[in-house]
Amino acid sequence: MPFRFFFNEAVNSLVRNWVMSIAAIVTVLVSMFILGVGTFIFINLQTATKAVKGKLEIELFIDSSASPEEIDRLGEQIDAMPEVRELRFISKDDAMEIMRERLKGSEEMLEAVSGNPLPASYQIVLKEPEKIEAVASSLYGDPIVDKTVRSTLADEMDSSDNYMVVSQGEGIKFDQKTYLRIDEEILRVSGDPQGDRVPVMRGQSGTETAPHTASATIYKVDGIKTGGETTERVLVATKYLLAGGSGFVALLAVASVLLISNTIRLSIFARRREVEIMRLVGATNSFIRWPFIIEGMTTGMLGATGALGLVLLVEYFFVKNVVTQMPFLGAETVPLLWLVGLIVGGGILLGSIGSSLALRRFLRI
Amino acid sequence: MRPRHDDGVRVITFENVSKIYEPNIKGLENVSVHIERGEFCFLVGHSGSGKSTFIRLLLKEFEPNEGSITVAGRNLQRMRRSALPYHRRNIGCVFQDFKLLPNKTVADNVAYSLRVTGQAARSIRRKVPEILQLVGLGDKMYNYPDELSAGQQQRVSVARAFVNHPSLLVADEPTGNLDPDTSVGIMQLLYRINRTGTTVLMATHDREMVDKMRKRVIALEDGCVIRDEDKGLYR
Repeated sequence: MPFRFFFNEAVNSLVRNWVMSIAAIVTVLVSMFILGVGTFIFINLQTATKAVKGKLEIELFIDSSASPEEIDRLGEQIDAMPEVRELRFISKDDAMEIMRERLKGSEEMLEAVSGNPLPASYQIVLKEPEKIEAVASSLYGDPIVDKTVRSTLADEMDSSDNYMVVSQGEGIKFDQKTYLRIDEEILRVSGDPQGDRVPVMRGQSGTETAPHTASATIYKVDGIKTGGETTERVLVATKYLLAGGSGFVALLAVASVLLISNTIRLSIFARRREVEIMRLVGATNSFIRWPFIIEGMTTGMLGATGALGLVLLVEYFFVKNVVTQMPFLGAETVPLLWLVGLIVGGGILLGSIGSSLALRRFLRI
Repeated sequence: MRPRHDDGVRVITFENVSKIYEPNIKGLENVSVHIERGEFCFLVGHSGSGKSTFIRLLLKEFEPNEGSITVAGRNLQRMRRSALPYHRRNIGCVFQDFKLLPNKTVADNVAYSLRVTGQAARSIRRKVPEILQLVGLGDKMYNYPDELSAGQQQRVSVARAFVNHPSLLVADEPTGNLDPDTSVGIMQLLYRINRTGTTVLMATHDREMVDKMRKRVIALEDGCVIRDEDKGLYR
């Protein structure tokens, strides 16, 4: 089969019907662009929710007056709950160790604090993160749980979004950069080590806590309430986005197929006489069809290539602008090979489906 | 009536062929015709007498309602659809309205019927100028059909029909759109093609031409063969 000849025929036809060709190319471009951006969003939401789901945990701060027996009793009680997947006990010393680890490089902050103000805590990982709110509430009633942490923070968290960042920072374990920023924040607010009032980070309204709770507040923020709700919201949003996105892409794909099919149909109509002549001089069906199929595939490929470029641009700007501003979003880009395969492959597929549709209906030989 | 040349190799055989178009319009009725290899044969008759039906049946554009048609030893009724293109490559066609591809140059038009057969580009590049030289259009290779006169276009169409060297060349009123002088040129061309051994079947109602050529004449009227004679006249 003389493919160069077919290709020339296809390109000639594309150029001759340029208005319809451009319409079809743009439709493919838009649908493939949305598919590409959708994949990008989807991949990021998936990693985000995976991270959130896996790491969302409840921290119970234990009142410093609690006896070891009481602490053990609470531990057994938690362990017996069917919702719990994992339970860790962080003693006061462990907490101090973690704190020291995080404050590496600015140990002078710790020197300012006498003794160990940090409370012991239980860290609870649930089987189903959606149940975090229910489990948390049931445990807060326990007498040895330090309710001051909960009450001070829960109230403030509700009133100010600033705390959500902190609370999620604890619950979801964001990347190093975020932690560093939180650390810097602490350095800044506790610049005066003698001061007995340490403001909670960035909170205009959150200046009411005592030093020992303050440090605990900052690091052991009870992220349950906001963390849980945000996660739920993210989970639900992912579902809707995914469903809506796939529906939209499917619709657009259908539109592209129909538009390509229509374009090819027009070019078949425009060349009806030619097709008749081709048959008269003994052209086989495939010989007549190939140029049209290539025309459709070229249309799809041109649209897809444009879409690929746009998607790469979007990814580039997103990573460049948004992520540097909000590093905790930790954007992942779709692997290039995937993207090329998905978009260009998809475009060519749409094109060939469109043209074979047109050929089947309008080129009965 | 014309004696049958049973010893010759038949290129066209019509056996009791009838064709009725959908709402009961008679195309051909019980036509039996044999044409041997190398013959030059006129098919004459008024408009609507069945000339075009005859030719379209030959090309297997549709099927007869009755009878059987054999072309170059192949029975058209038993032929598979997939074999149809190969059947058509064996028949060169020239039409009253030329049927050239308007978006292709003269050379590409002629080349198309070679490309269809899967010929190599190199042999196409060799054969096309050759055949165009033969029909006297060697200098119009890169013109488009609408830049040529009607006579020249018909020459292109003859070149396209003959470039594959088919065993049969069918012309449906090839001079119908041409003035008498130009017609003579086309006739001469067809005659020369016939001299190379190609069977030529030409439907026409050009009385003068038929009378001048004195070739075999098959006359149709109302779908029936009313006369079939060698060295005949139009009458």
